[in-house]
Amino acid sequence: MSGSLKLRLALLDNIIWMMLIAFFSVCALGIPSFATWTNMVNILYHTTIMSMLVLAQGFVLMSGNLDLSIDAVLAFAPGMAILVSVKWFPGLLGNPWTAILLTLSIGALLGLFNGFCVARLGMNAFMQTLSVSIILRGLVLFFIPLSIFPLDPVYSFIGKARIVQLGNIPAAIPVTFLIFFIFHVLINYTVFGRNYLATGGNTRASFVAGINTNRMIILGFMVAGILSAIAGMLTAGRQDSVSNTMGNGMTLLAFAGALLGGTSMSGGKGSAFGMLGGAILLGMFSNALNLLGVKVTLIHAAQGTLIFLAILIDRFRVALRGSILRKEQVRKLHHSLNEQAENVTSY
Amino acid sequence: MKAPALSLNGISKIYPGTVALDQVSFEVYPGEVHGLIGKNGAGKSTLVGILAGLIEPTEGTISLGDRSYHSLSRVRAKKEGVAIVPQEPELILDLTVAENLFLGILPSRKGILDRKTMRAGAEKALSAYGIGISVDLLAGDLSLSERQLLLILKSCVVEDAPIVVLDESSAPLSGRDALILRKIVVDLRSRGKAIVYISHHIDELLDICDRLTVLRDGKAVAVRERASLDHASLSELIIGEESSLTGGRPEDAPFPGEEILRVEGLSRWGTFGDISFSLRRGEILGLAGLRGSGRTELLKALAGIEPADEGEVFLRGSRVHFHSPAEALAEGIAYLPEEREKEGLLRSFSIRDNLLLNCFGKVCGGRFINWETSEERALAVFRDVRIKAFSIHQGVDELSGGNRQKVVIGRIMTNGPEIYLLDEPTRGVDIGAKKAILSTVSGRIRNGAGVIITSPGLDDLIDVCDRILVLSKGGIFTEYERKDFSEHRLFLDMQGFGQQDRRGGRECQAV
Repeated sequence: MSGSLKLRLALLDNIIWMMLIAFFSVCALGIPSFATWTNMVNILYHTTIMSMLVLAQGFVLMSGNLDLSIDAVLAFAPGMAILVSVKWFPGLLGNPWTAILLTLSIGALLGLFNGFCVARLGMNAFMQTLSVSIILRGLVLFFIPLSIFPLDPVYSFIGKARIVQLGNIPAAIPVTFLIFFIFHVLINYTVFGRNYLATGGNTRASFVAGINTNRMIILGFMVAGILSAIAGMLTAGRQDSVSNTMGNGMTLLAFAGALLGGTSMSGGKGSAFGMLGGAILLGMFSNALNLLGVKVTLIHAAQGTLIFLAILIDRFRVALRGSILRKEQVRKLHHSLNEQAENVTSY
Repeated sequence: MKAPALSLNGISKIYPGTVALDQVSFEVYPGEVHGLIGKNGAGKSTLVGILAGLIEPTEGTISLGDRSYHSLSRVRAKKEGVAIVPQEPELILDLTVAENLFLGILPSRKGILDRKTMRAGAEKALSAYGIGISVDLLAGDLSLSERQLLLILKSCVVEDAPIVVLDESSAPLSGRDALILRKIVVDLRSRGKAIVYISHHIDELLDICDRLTVLRDGKAVAVRERASLDHASLSELIIGEESSLTGGRPEDAPFPGEEILRVEGLSRWGTFGDISFSLRRGEILGLAGLRGSGRTELLKALAGIEPADEGEVFLRGSRVHFHSPAEALAEGIAYLPEEREKEGLLRSFSIRDNLLLNCFGKVCGGRFINWETSEERALAVFRDVRIKAFSIHQGVDELSGGNRQKVVIGRIMTNGPEIYLLDEPTRGVDIGAKKAILSTVSGRIRNGAGVIITSPGLDDLIDVCDRILVLSKGGIFTEYERKDFSEHRLFLDMQGFGQQDRRGGRECQAV
C-alpha cells in the first residue's frame, strides 16, 4: 500500500478530528474570545460529563446493542449512594470512599441487570433499557425530592477540584483523558477488545467461532453502567449536590456524539478517540453559539442540524473510502498486467 | 397430441468462463408431470432462474402456448401464469394462514379487505387436500414443513397458475406432508396443468412423474418416459461415466495415525440418530448425504453449537460433552460453518482481523495483543490459503465468494486445531478457489489433524477423502474405504435404497 493511500485512508478514518480542526479554525477567526486558554479549558470541562456518556453509549453500540438508561443511571447511582451513606446509614457507610465505591457498584449492577435481560433472556435492548430508564427516573424523584448538599470534598473531587500543578485545570479533564486512553488500549490492544468488536460485527458468527458472546454483551452493559455512574459523580461534584434532574435528556445527545465519532449503529465499529472527538465537537459547538449570544432553545435545534450534517458527511466518507480502495485495486491490476506484458516481450 | 404448455428451445446460458446451460430443449404438456434431475452444478438452478424470469438466457427461445419469447421477465412470467415454488419457504410470519395464501390477490370490496371471502377461500383450499391447519393461525406458528405446504398451495391452487415449477419443494416436507404434496400434484395433473417437478430424490421422481429430463454438465442428456426407467438406469443417466479422480489429493499422503475422535450412538431428536464412527489423525473422512440427511446437524453437534441429546463423544480417549463452541475450540475442534455470510465472516473486520479472531489467545499468550507477531501470523496464513487480495488490511466485503471462504478457512486454521469439521467448504465458490481449498484441505490441514468434510457434490469427497460415510435420513447407511469409492454406489446409497446392491459398502449401524 502506498504512503499517500495510507494517509488518505487515515484522514478519512479520523474525519471527526478533521471536522473538529475545521470548526475550531472558523470559530477562532470569527469569535474573538473563542481561542483563549480559559475558553478551551472551559469547553473541555463542560465536555467531560457528556464525553463519559458518549463513551458509554458508543461502547454498547459497538457490541450491537444500545442503552437508553445511561442518563437515568447518571442520576440514580450517585443519588442513591449519597442518600444511603449520608442520610440512611451515616454511621455505617458515612465514609466518602465507601460512597464512591457504592456509586460505581450501583452503576455496574444496573448494567449487569440490563445485560442479563438482553443477552440471557433475549429481551430487546431498546425496550429493556427504556423501561429501566423510566423506573430509575421515577425512583430518583421519589427518594430525592430535594437536593442533598453539600458533598464530602473527597466525593466531589473529580467533579469540582482544580489541580494547581497543571495550570489550575479542573481534575475532571485529566481524569477523562485517562479513561479514554484506557479504553483506547482496551479496544485496540486486548483480546477482549477484539472479541467484543467481533460480537458486535456478527454475533452469530462470533458465537460459532467460539466467543462467549453473552458474556461480551453483559460486560458491555456493565461498562456503560460504570461510565454513567462516573458521569454522575462528575455532575454531582460540579454542582456539589445530588439532585433529581441531573443528566435529564442527555442520552440522545450521547448517541449523536458516538455517531459523530464514527461508531456504527449496527455494531462492530468504533474508536475511543473518535468518540472523544465527537463529544468535544458537541461541546465546542454549543460553546461557540453561547459566545455568539444564541438563545438556548436555538442551540438545541442547531445541535440537531450538526448531527444531521455529520451523518451526511459519514455517508460521503464511506462512499469515498470505497472508491479510493477500488481505484487502488484497478491500479494494482494494471500494474501486474503491464509486468506480465513486459515479461512476455523480453522473451 | 396437444401442443406443449411450455417449451424451451435450444436454451443456452453462458457466464464468463463457464457454460451453465448448453442448448437445452424440453417441453411440458398440459396434464403432464415432468421431472427434472441432475447433480449439483448440472444447471438446474439456472434453468429455474430462466423460467422464473430472473436469468436472461444467452440463446434460445421460450414458448408458452403459441407465444414465443427470447426471455421472461419476472412480471411476464407471472402474467403468463408460470408459478415457481422455491426451496426455502418464504412467508410473512406475522400474517395469518389465510392472508398469506391470498397475499398479492387479496379479495376486496371498494378497497376494504373482504375477510369473509378470503377465509372461505383459504378453508376450501386447505380442506380439499385434508390439511388440518386453521386459517387464522399465524404463519410464524407453523412448522417449516407446514409453511412449505402453504407455499405450494398458494401457487398451485389459490393462484391457479397453469404452469407450476416445484423446485425441490419436497425437501423440507415431513412424511405426512409429502403425501399431501403428492395428492396435490396428482390433482393438478388431472386438471390439465403442466408441472415441472425438480427433486434430488430418485424414488420420488419415479413415483410421480410421467416423463423425466436428466441434466448433466449443462446439457439435457436424456428425456425418457417413466415406464422405461428404473432406479439403476436413472442414476446411471444422472452420473454419466464414473468421474475420474482429479488429483487434488497427493498420492504420498501420510497413512492415518491413531484414533483421535470416537462417536458412539450420537442422536439429536428429529434430525439424526444412533451415529457411531471414529476418526484418526491425518485422516479425511467424508460425510455424504442429501439435504436433510442430518450431516450439518451432526457437525454442529460435535462442535457444541447445537448439542446432541443422546450418545457419547470421546476425544483422544476421554469422554467429552460440549455445550458451546468455545468449549469445543478450547479442546482443539474447529468448525467451518455451512453458511459463510451468516455464521462465518465478520464483515466489519478486515481480512487480518478475521484471520486472527480465533488465535489471539495463543499468539499473544495473554490479554494484550502484540500486533507485530499477530500480523506476521496473519500474513503467513494469508499466503498459506492463497487469498487473492492486495493487502490483509482490506475489508472482506471487497473479496469474491471463493476468497471469502478462504478467509474463514484460514481463520479456523490459525489456532492449530486437531479436528476440523468442514461443512461444505466448497459451496458457492468458483472452480479455481475450489481447487485451492481442496488442496489446502488435503495438504496443510490434514497434517497432524483429523478432518471431517461434507460437500454439495460427491466429486469433491471422492477427490480428497480416505473414507466416506453415507448418511441417509439421519442415520449412517454405509461406509466406504478409498479403494471402494464409486460415485454410482455412493449416489444410490445417499438415496437410501441401495441395500440390494451394496457391493463394496459395509453396513455399520451394527458396529
